[in-house]
Amino acid sequence: MRVFFAATFVVLIALSLLAWSIRPNVAEPGKTALTWVSDDNPARREQINLFNRLHKDLTLRLDPNNTGMEKVIVQSLAGVGPDLFDCYDTFQLSAYVKSGIAWNVTDELAKLGLDPAKQTWKAVQADSIYEGRAYGFGNNVGADAVWFNKSIFDREGIPYPKGPWRWPEFIKLAQRLTHRDANGRATQFGFMCEWWQWLHFVYQFGGRVYSEDGTRCVVDSPETVAAVQLLYDLIYKYKVMPSPVEEAAMATQGGWGSGTITRFGADKGAMALGGRWWLCTLRDYKGLRLGVVECPYSVKRVFRGYGKGTLINKNSPHRQEALKFLVYQAGREYNQLINDQADALGPVVQFAYEPRYLLNPKHPEEDYNVVWRDALERATPDQYSPFINGQVALRLLNKQLDLVKNNQKTAKAAMCDAALQLNREIARGLEQDPELARRYREITGRTAPGGAQ
Amino acid sequence: MSGKLRPGEARNRRDTVAALLFLLPNFLGFVIFTSGPVIFSLAASFTNWNLQQTVPFRWVGFENYGRLLADPEFHLYAVNTAYFLLGMPLAIAGSLCLAMMLSQKLKGIVVYRTLFYLPSFTSGVALMILWKALYNPDFGPVNAMIDWVTHSLHLSIAAPQWLLSTQNVLGLDVEKVGFTAKQLGIGARDAIIIMGIWTAVGGNNMLLYLAALTNVPQELSEAAELDGAGPWQVFRNVTWPQLAPTTFFIVVMSFIGGLQGGFEQARVMTAGGPAGTTTTLAYHIYTKAFEEFQIGYASAVSWVLFALVFAATAVNWKFGNREVSY
Repeated sequence: MRVFFAATFVVLIALSLLAWSIRPNVAEPGKTALTWVSDDNPARREQINLFNRLHKDLTLRLDPNNTGMEKVIVQSLAGVGPDLFDCYDTFQLSAYVKSGIAWNVTDELAKLGLDPAKQTWKAVQADSIYEGRAYGFGNNVGADAVWFNKSIFDREGIPYPKGPWRWPEFIKLAQRLTHRDANGRATQFGFMCEWWQWLHFVYQFGGRVYSEDGTRCVVDSPETVAAVQLLYDLIYKYKVMPSPVEEAAMATQGGWGSGTITRFGADKGAMALGGRWWLCTLRDYKGLRLGVVECPYSVKRVFRGYGKGTLINKNSPHRQEALKFLVYQAGREYNQLINDQADALGPVVQFAYEPRYLLNPKHPEEDYNVVWRDALERATPDQYSPFINGQVALRLLNKQLDLVKNNQKTAKAAMCDAALQLNREIARGLEQDPELARRYREITGRTAPGGAQ
Repeated sequence: MSGKLRPGEARNRRDTVAALLFLLPNFLGFVIFTSGPVIFSLAASFTNWNLQQTVPFRWVGFENYGRLLADPEFHLYAVNTAYFLLGMPLAIAGSLCLAMMLSQKLKGIVVYRTLFYLPSFTSGVALMILWKALYNPDFGPVNAMIDWVTHSLHLSIAAPQWLLSTQNVLGLDVEKVGFTAKQLGIGARDAIIIMGIWTAVGGNNMLLYLAALTNVPQELSEAAELDGAGPWQVFRNVTWPQLAPTTFFIVVMSFIGGLQGGFEQARVMTAGGPAGTTTTLAYHIYTKAFEEFQIGYASAVSWVLFALVFAATAVNWKFGNREVSY
């Protein structure tokens, strides 16, 4: 028996050595391999291929399986993180900076003649510039507008909408375009949007999530409540948008570009609030004729701007090589590729003002590119408070929005509870964190309530 | 005293060394990957450790424990976890019934046994996605059947909204620990319990009962039947007491599994919603540690969960063991 175990042990060692010796090379000989953690957007491969063609000494690979912020931080702290990773908002950026894994590239970019604060759209700066220092460069950027299905409009004999316009006008149109069968089940919705786009509504109602100085949550303001109320009314009062039950009935199982995009692409909705990046999926829908119009507005003609930046792992052994990717993102080839692919818009403003942006020769039917650029000009990035953990805030807000969406709570009650909970969380943070308490004193001139000393 | 070992002693020593060497890899693995992290998490639970490094690292004593005991979210998620245990008795009873049916000497019984055990072979995530489709409120087969039955019987009962609803059969409130008539109904929590029962009935518990049933002495049942006992009396007075050790084991393991469960379901099916109604303590630990980066607090929740599991097992052991005759 002992001989059997010993032999097994030896065989296992031999097999391990064999596996080690035949492991596949991550990069071709003489090349440096770079790993980029990003989403598996269909456009991503082409962006990577172009980079690899332009940099013969590097091999960039996509890692779509570790995109969660928690994974990036834990892996990077453990020394097995990616070389490059994406960042989607200021909270994420602050988390990457505070956890010590984002490399401050302000000086490096300056030496290379790059200045993201001047070159890139304001909406994407929030994803790469933190407290005046650059930790990366914008990857892509966008603001939402209203997609409409031209075939549905033609079929119903309704002229295509034109902006700028207001919500009452929009709601009348959406009601005309919503159809239900004898059982009351919708066969076509006038409008579709996701509840996570709620901030798009909040900003144009003049509402805010946090006070100007970030020290208080103010989602209980009449403006924010009115914005959430409109979202609720679109479902339950005007009945032009699917309820959670109706959404589930049309549910797709996930993956990149699923949900509202696929439902809209499948003619289930006449109009939908979405970004230019939807085209990465919608271009594959044969026969789908699309138009775009600016989103209706309420008090302010502003829209939510969003994007993502690419950061470099401070602990990466290939930091200098990874820097070439940021330079690539600032260049003409990359920005033109993004604009042509319609993976939102390229991060650099200048390239959206060239004739090539307005008319992609491969897609002459896309004659609405100016709408995206105009929306981006009026875009405001998401607000951020350094006094609360963004994930906690998101969880608390989502819970209350869930209750409104499911018709369990009024918009006012939910937003008042959310403000209460978030402000309690802010107070707790001030109690525990002397640095936050100091910052609070600096901003407000007052001692933080129960603040740490 | 001679330094030389006798042949028997030398052989014993060699055997001991060999045994220790064979045990060593497993023991090292256990120390490094199991007991090490467990002890580490205990230490972490007394700190304010935050992966974002915003707060200077310091020992906070029992602060995390005090905070979680006063945290309404912790209370809600503990109630959710306890609620999911409601399905346990049904799952155990179902396993026993199924095992008794499958212990019959019938042609092709092995095929039936395999079929019922199939869900245990299948990936949990795949099963959950399947159930998600089954529970679709408008087009799911579950509601289609309910609609058909209620329509046939001319009843005006609305089918449940399953994974989208915060309602539950006990009427538990969504935002605080308590009951409210508004929440009375069938919702996401119940949907997950039903799925859990379906998975568990044909699973390992059934196998354990099947094995235990083959060990029930045939002569005891025959003697009882000769004395005039009917099938129910034979089961109640002969089979059931003989199965007591197995039932005890299954109850203890189900309690432990139930208190630690709910993570996969929340991750795959509901993201802990709607409005946190399917968030269990296990999912709460994940959220706190790896989404909000409050490692110290999450470690404290883990240890409180461990204490709950330990207490439940001790109670089971103390009171359940009395009913067991080996």
